[in-house]
Amino acid sequence: MKRNPLVLVVVGAIVAVMLWSGIHTARKNGTHAPIIGQIRGQVAPDFDLKSLDGKDVKLSDLRGKAVLLNFWATYCGPCKIEMPWFVELQKEYGPQGFQIVGVAMDDASTEDIDKFAKDMGVNYPILLGKEAVGDSYGGINVLPTTFFIDRDGKLVAREFGLQSRSVFVDHIKQALGQTVQAQK
Amino acid sequence: MRKLLVSSFLIFAISACAQEPLGLKSPVVSMKPAPVFTVTQGKPGTASLTFHVTNGYHINSNRPRSEFLIPTSLKVSADTDIVIGGVTYPEGEDMSFAFAPDDKLNVYTRDFAVGVIIRPLRGAQSGKYMLRGSLKYQACDNAACYPPKQLPINFEVRIAKAPPAARKNPAQSPHSHR
Repeated sequence: MKRNPLVLVVVGAIVAVMLWSGIHTARKNGTHAPIIGQIRGQVAPDFDLKSLDGKDVKLSDLRGKAVLLNFWATYCGPCKIEMPWFVELQKEYGPQGFQIVGVAMDDASTEDIDKFAKDMGVNYPILLGKEAVGDSYGGINVLPTTFFIDRDGKLVAREFGLQSRSVFVDHIKQALGQTVQAQK
Repeated sequence: MRKLLVSSFLIFAISACAQEPLGLKSPVVSMKPAPVFTVTQGKPGTASLTFHVTNGYHINSNRPRSEFLIPTSLKVSADTDIVIGGVTYPEGEDMSFAFAPDDKLNVYTRDFAVGVIIRPLRGAQSGKYMLRGSLKYQACDNAACYPPKQLPINFEVRIAKAPPAARKNPAQSPHSHR
């Protein structure tokens, strides 16, 4: 079977462009779909951010705890729906070694973020987000974006947008290692 | 050969889908093509710019109902011969969304028009001018919100010469000499 070398070159060029484009896009946007397949087991990028009360909080300081890392903003309506759930989940699972950490990703003043958090009755630390931290998590292009991190600091799951409360509970249990125990 | 090309195309299509990043793939708001607006030297006129919000999304109106929401706002800059007299925004629509069924948000969906009041100086050169600006908006859908964006815009304005001022002929003296 005779193949036209020109066509082969064109096909080769298309494949090369696709590969380059794929790598470039992945680098630029971070990891996206499929979500869990790509991030599960990766070490959650560490960060050092200021909390609303002025403390420096490092993610690595929470090693040994299961962490729900929630990127949110004061302008985000769906984020407001999740917050009361998070307050309840912190109370329910906190004694088992679970910690929720909110990262505010907006331009609002610290006072406004603080007011918002107080109005919502938030009982977990709220950190003042930086774009670089968002970038290290693949770029926060959707709010809310929530990561679930196990006790070893490894990512278990990621969720974009508002999810049902049961989805959060399932991921929290996974992060706490309860699902693994249940399967044994 | 055809099989090779078809399979290459399929790989390309699958790869393109797989690379589609989550979040906004393209701007949620676009400006519809605007005509050339004509204004007269020294007189204000309004350029009406129509924007389109992609179906399934909403953006806050210029006067959202919460202090935490980011209002839609348009900024336009102009040459020194043209003064931007202000921007007028339409009323938003009060809507409830699945994420907060009890709350009403004042939003723009589909098409909305923003007026830009333009006043060329009396001594402005007649002719066409390109005005540039940006629309700041913050979009959400039913389950998520997206960081604020700036949509760059531009539109043309033609400055027309003001009609010559009507001359008041001085009352002629009956004794005037030609």
